Amino acid sequence: MLFFLTTTLVFSQEKFTLSGTISDSKTNETLIGVNVFCAEYKVGIITNEYGFYSITLPKGDYKIQISYLGYLSVTETIVLTQNIKKNFALTETGQQLDEVIITEKTATNIRRPEMSVNKLSIGTIKKIPVVLGEVDIIKALLMLPGVTNAGEGQSGFNVRGGGADQNLILLDEATIFNSSHLFGLFSVFNPDAIKDLKLYKGGIPARFGGRVSSVLDIYQKDGNSNKFSMNGGVGIISSRILAEGPIVKNRGSFLFAGRASYAHLFLKLTNNKNSAYFYDLNTKMNYKVNQNNNLFLSGYFGRDVFSLSNSFVNTYGSATLNLRWNHLFSDKLFSNLSLIYSDYYYGLNLNLLGFLWNSGIKNYNIKYDFKHYVTDKIKLNYGINTIYYAFNPGTIEPSNATSGINYKQLEKKYAFEPSIYFDAEQKISNDLSLSYGLRYSMFYRLGSSTVNLYNNNQAVVFNQELQIYEKATPIGSTYFGGNKVIESFNNFEPRFAASYQLNANESVKASYNRMTQYLQLISNTASPTPLDVWTPSDNYIKPQILDQVALGYFRNFNDDKYSLEVETFYKKIKNRIDYIDGANLIANEAIEQVILNGEMRAYGLEVLLRKNTGKLNGWISYTLSKSEQRTPGRNATEIGINNGNWYHSGYDKLHNLSVTSSYTFNSKWTFGANFVLQSGQPVTFPDGQYQYEGITIPSYGTRNGNRLPAYHHLDFSATYVPKPNKKKGWQSEWVFSIYNAYGRKNAASISFRQNETKGVNEAIRLSIFGVVPGISYNFKF
Amino acid sequence: MKKYYYLFAVIMAVLVISCEDVIKVDLNTAAPRLVVNGSLQWQKGTLGNEQKIKLSTTTGFYDTVIPTVSGALILVTNSTNSSFNFTEEVPNSGVYLCHNFIPEINETYVMNLVLNGETYTATETLKSVSPITSVMQNSSGGFSGTDVEIKTYYTDPANSNDYYLFKYKSSLNAIPMYQVSEDKFYQGNQFFGYYTNGDIKTGDNLDITIYGVSKRYFDYMSKLILISGANNGPFSTPPATVHGNIINLTHPNNYALGYFNVSETDFRNYIIQ
Repeated sequence: MLFFLTTTLVFSQEKFTLSGTISDSKTNETLIGVNVFCAEYKVGIITNEYGFYSITLPKGDYKIQISYLGYLSVTETIVLTQNIKKNFALTETGQQLDEVIITEKTATNIRRPEMSVNKLSIGTIKKIPVVLGEVDIIKALLMLPGVTNAGEGQSGFNVRGGGADQNLILLDEATIFNSSHLFGLFSVFNPDAIKDLKLYKGGIPARFGGRVSSVLDIYQKDGNSNKFSMNGGVGIISSRILAEGPIVKNRGSFLFAGRASYAHLFLKLTNNKNSAYFYDLNTKMNYKVNQNNNLFLSGYFGRDVFSLSNSFVNTYGSATLNLRWNHLFSDKLFSNLSLIYSDYYYGLNLNLLGFLWNSGIKNYNIKYDFKHYVTDKIKLNYGINTIYYAFNPGTIEPSNATSGINYKQLEKKYAFEPSIYFDAEQKISNDLSLSYGLRYSMFYRLGSSTVNLYNNNQAVVFNQELQIYEKATPIGSTYFGGNKVIESFNNFEPRFAASYQLNANESVKASYNRMTQYLQLISNTASPTPLDVWTPSDNYIKPQILDQVALGYFRNFNDDKYSLEVETFYKKIKNRIDYIDGANLIANEAIEQVILNGEMRAYGLEVLLRKNTGKLNGWISYTLSKSEQRTPGRNATEIGINNGNWYHSGYDKLHNLSVTSSYTFNSKWTFGANFVLQSGQPVTFPDGQYQYEGITIPSYGTRNGNRLPAYHHLDFSATYVPKPNKKKGWQSEWVFSIYNAYGRKNAASISFRQNETKGVNEAIRLSIFGVVPGISYNFKF
Repeated sequence: MKKYYYLFAVIMAVLVISCEDVIKVDLNTAAPRLVVNGSLQWQKGTLGNEQKIKLSTTTGFYDTVIPTVSGALILVTNSTNSSFNFTEEVPNSGVYLCHNFIPEINETYVMNLVLNGETYTATETLKSVSPITSVMQNSSGGFSGTDVEIKTYYTDPANSNDYYLFKYKSSLNAIPMYQVSEDKFYQGNQFFGYYTNGDIKTGDNLDITIYGVSKRYFDYMSKLILISGANNGPFSTPPATVHGNIINLTHPNNYALGYFNVSETDFRNYIIQ
């Protein structure tokens, strides 16, 4: 590394730097991922998360091309005889052209050593037909290769066969612990307030850590610093409103967005006492102090509320607050300091039992990141990150004076996770680019806490006679005072990626990444429930460690009209926790007594074919993959879980095909269509029944040895803009949609039971969505 | 998870989009396995001499006849080596009866069973139970606010960890409903078993039984209730065969299902008001 640095420094005397920010001409919103390319020198760079770019070239005259999805490309001649600061303002294509034909280059970037990454613009996401017409970021991700979820109406998403708890979800750099509203029907992200998102499935850069499967990096809009404007929408389930405008013209702006569902109001009208609703608020403010300093303050607050005739009231959601300071040390050294708070709260009032429950997780995060544009060939990223966590596994209180419930606080847990990282993106030759880095992560489980001690350090014992795993009885306990280290871990996480350009249109890429996850979600279901609690790694729960390799072939063809991305991956995760049969996870104070450390592996092939331009565009994605888990016995006498054999994880999908397309008919009408076909979710069907004390019990064989029937649906949408030429004042559009057009009864689950009144055995299929029409109205002014 | 399934169902109903239907699924059938239904109960105020143990095997999920098992020798002994014979009096019934059982609180009983040359054994301690103090009805309760809600009150003894099993059998249903409870959150307080039914109406009968049980039986019944219930919805845990406390001494891998339990019980027959 030092060698590269010194050699480049020696030859860099006659070079100058062109730097600045790139933003939208109308709103001054900075743009992320804009390509800045110097054709003469064949080097390019993309703007970072704050719209900043910096490119260093030898003295000379250059034609600099600037291109970005949805915007008109700009080419500008720069005479580089000194360091130059130049900001660019790009114009949206839709605003200038009468004919709405997408002509901008959206082809795959085949040069960068970045792979297994998907970017989706909000514009693309809004065109994808969705259930009840509610635009949804997570649902759009499911159309991409390697991304699935456990099933309809289930929360979270799964990347390359990983668990939903293994995704790091960042909203303006703050961690979101639960991405779903109304279980999994909707996601917590208000699409109007989102600027950009990027999903890393592999080759994850060293600046990210803490989860093993993926990183979903979401950026909120900064707000229009040019003029005040509002937009919003009215849908069947929810309505949205957003206001943005300048605080100080062209220097500072604000954005407030709110969204709320109101389906429960109809219930009130029909005298139904049950209620289910959600709301969320996004806020952001930014202020440009001077040319070298920018401040951002952003926040999110969302809640779901369920109530069943006031005998059961359930409230949960996330909150984040984030203060960031961008500082340019020089035109080559960009820095960002973030102070982040985020929490997840879960509350339950079970009035009929006189029972009140609260739990949650809070974290405080300080990040200091540097982006160092050393030369045209080397870009460095380095920084530090420290997170302090406070977990509340549960507070139990009586909900009224006559309740028989005693107050109880399950012991709170604390942890500290510092890390440092460094990575470099280096152009070795015109054909070969490398990216390599290292993250060093540490984790300290802290007191105050009382830790149980067990014989042979085993919190779970195997009962030889009954051939089952059982909770061990503690032989004692140790008390650790406040901030005393109970257990600590440290891991080196190397990252590597390479891209080799075969010719102007083709390249091959390879990547390797190791990652560590110190937080575990205690969940025994195929997809997480809001009640699931997070717990830190400790003496008994080991951190998950991932190794992933991926190989890919990338090609643009027909003058960049089409892009093809083919990737294959293999990943292995150590210490994936599994639960002993019948483990009770709720309000369990000694969770180590029901947990065994197992392993997980996933491998597959992903194909993505996109049509980038023309009236008809969209993509076809196909994934062939396997996701498995295994928990063998700890010694020869133990049987392990599922007899120690590999079994399908609950979200394994052998085949996954999705097609999404949009067709611009004219300036008033745009149509969209989706088709999804997947293997059914792995489940365990009974292989017999028996009777005990008057009830029938199904008996089961291999875990997840069966599958639900194949899952498929076809959806349509149509967007109508009544006055497409109107660029000022009230502008509106109607979105009509049909989800599951041919009414496929997809099984969300099949359960086996004895009919209560008749006493006979039966299999019950639960299907969630039939044909679901939707309509929504969007406006801006 | 049961509550979650219910909640999930309500949300779906709110959105008027989900539907449940009975379908036929092709299922494999594993080789039959012995099932021991040994639940010895001593109702407060009775002698508890009359007891029974039922033997059967597993069978295909859709089969309507449960195969019975005959020809077994069953002997239960206590710590003072008194032994109680269980014999199949009606041929091919699979029901083994005993007429001279002596129940004692905190006594440990060992069941010994010999069948087809294989010996099975199980051990359990007879747990006492707090008496039912009262049964209260609320006709506008439950999750819907219009269901009949029955609370069966008892007083949990302080300074001991107690485990309870409730059995509810309404005249409306063909099968009983079970619930478990532990005093973790109500140590030493008056508490209640909670039963709700949207269909039950005035004049219907509800048999309520409370059992004092061991921790192991509590764990066993928790798992059994979970996998026998109709609540294997989207939030269910991966189901697995539930092992009880029956050990096969001859071939440990050829384990028997079921459980040998001994409990003191209290009983109320309640007529819905």
